[in-house]
Amino acid sequence: MVAPNVKGLNCPNCGAAIQLRSGELAQTVACSSCAAILDAKDPNLRVLQEYSGRMRWTPLVPLGTRGKLKGDPYEVLGFQVRGIRVDETDYLWREYLLWNPYKGFRYLTEYDGHWNDVVVLKKTPAESGGSRPTLEYLGETFKHFQTAEATTKFVLGEFPWEVRLGDKATTRDFVSPPHIISEETTKDETTWSLGTYVSPQYIWEAFQLPGKPALPRGVYANQPDPSAGSAAALWRIFGIFALVLLGMLIVRQTTARRELVFRQGYTVTSHNADSTAFVTPVFAVKGRTSNVRLTIDTDLRNNWAYFNLALINDQTGTAYDFGREVSYYFGYDDGYWSEGSSSDRATIPTVPPGQYYLRVQPELGNDNREPLGFTLTVHRDVPSLTFFVIVFGLLALPPIFAAFRYHAFEQMRWRESDYAPTTSDDE
Amino acid sequence: MMRQHPVYLLFGILLIAMLGFAEWRGWSVARPTEVKNVPRSVRDNPGSYRPAYLYYGSGRYMRGK
Repeated sequence: MVAPNVKGLNCPNCGAAIQLRSGELAQTVACSSCAAILDAKDPNLRVLQEYSGRMRWTPLVPLGTRGKLKGDPYEVLGFQVRGIRVDETDYLWREYLLWNPYKGFRYLTEYDGHWNDVVVLKKTPAESGGSRPTLEYLGETFKHFQTAEATTKFVLGEFPWEVRLGDKATTRDFVSPPHIISEETTKDETTWSLGTYVSPQYIWEAFQLPGKPALPRGVYANQPDPSAGSAAALWRIFGIFALVLLGMLIVRQTTARRELVFRQGYTVTSHNADSTAFVTPVFAVKGRTSNVRLTIDTDLRNNWAYFNLALINDQTGTAYDFGREVSYYFGYDDGYWSEGSSSDRATIPTVPPGQYYLRVQPELGNDNREPLGFTLTVHRDVPSLTFFVIVFGLLALPPIFAAFRYHAFEQMRWRESDYAPTTSDDE
Repeated sequence: MMRQHPVYLLFGILLIAMLGFAEWRGWSVARPTEVKNVPRSVRDNPGSYRPAYLYYGSGRYMRGK
């Protein structure tokens, strides 16, 4: 970049030194001391407007700072604070006018630590109407975000247009993160600009600013979601896992032996549990170590029964102790009702092959004095859905969490728009 | 896609491998109480056996209404 052709003058309002860096291009210049707006075309810098506001803003990137953006050197010429008023609240942002004699003008905007690198568009984007307009620009679709009236609140430095405090423009923002297209309409003209979200660190490095930038607060209109695409990718991987699970389930269901190893019917007449204990004949449980399923089918009617059970290895003396309750009640109270079931089953995991018998001790409820008839059935290697359901659920957790994060981020983004999701507080 | 989420990929592969092993070995979410060295005399005198289990099952333990 060539050395700047700086023209030194003095502010007629306060006497402070004024520097004109863009030479003939400057239309107005705001004194960095008293913030009065001066006519840069006038040899005496005629005062166009004095600043009477109490608030003063200091540019985070000082006027005259030179830095490199996208490989090209730029110098900060002007700084203005603009704002919109929504629901009695002022939202202010800061704009920096940058200049390169060969590349022209460029802007930086900053709001709550969110920075955008902005260039003016030479071509008007194609707009589609409707209740929620969109723009098409270079193959990208931008969604309408907000329409507002922006007011210039504070100005410093020089500008290639006639800037005034209180200048108003109707702004319409369209977003497609990390891009934003803004339309600004005044009574004289309409301009379109394209902003690209950049990190504060990028600005600090570009202009070699001292210290560290403030961290961005909240979610900005065109701030890219750091987890964007993550949820979709996770769902795709989950889909593959789900297919693998389905394949495994089919294989398991079709290859499980479900071998019937024992079945016998019994009748209990005594209600004294101590006298009802018995053992079954020994039966062979074959094959590899796998599960064993015991099914109890009873003829219970409005009664309960409790079965103390032990599957005992006749050779090793290892027993698997467990108990099952079966209860079945039914009747008519304003219609038929029933509760419980006359059958029950239990799965005993990892049972090695061997010779086994069951030790059974039924306890019979006193709600019905009828004898209890029941059948015990033992199957070997029975498939179960339980682990498939658990694994399916665990695999679904990460994509669900990522989708939740994505939607929360988008909700925060659109909360500041004209399409803010309605909450109960708003009603 | 796969390279984007290596942790999830590994997590899923481990889970599925574990599921395959669990199904092969006949695992279950609940286990009965295992008792060693039950005497052979239980076959002759079933009433002498004292169960060592806690309630094993998914339903409620309710003795009648």
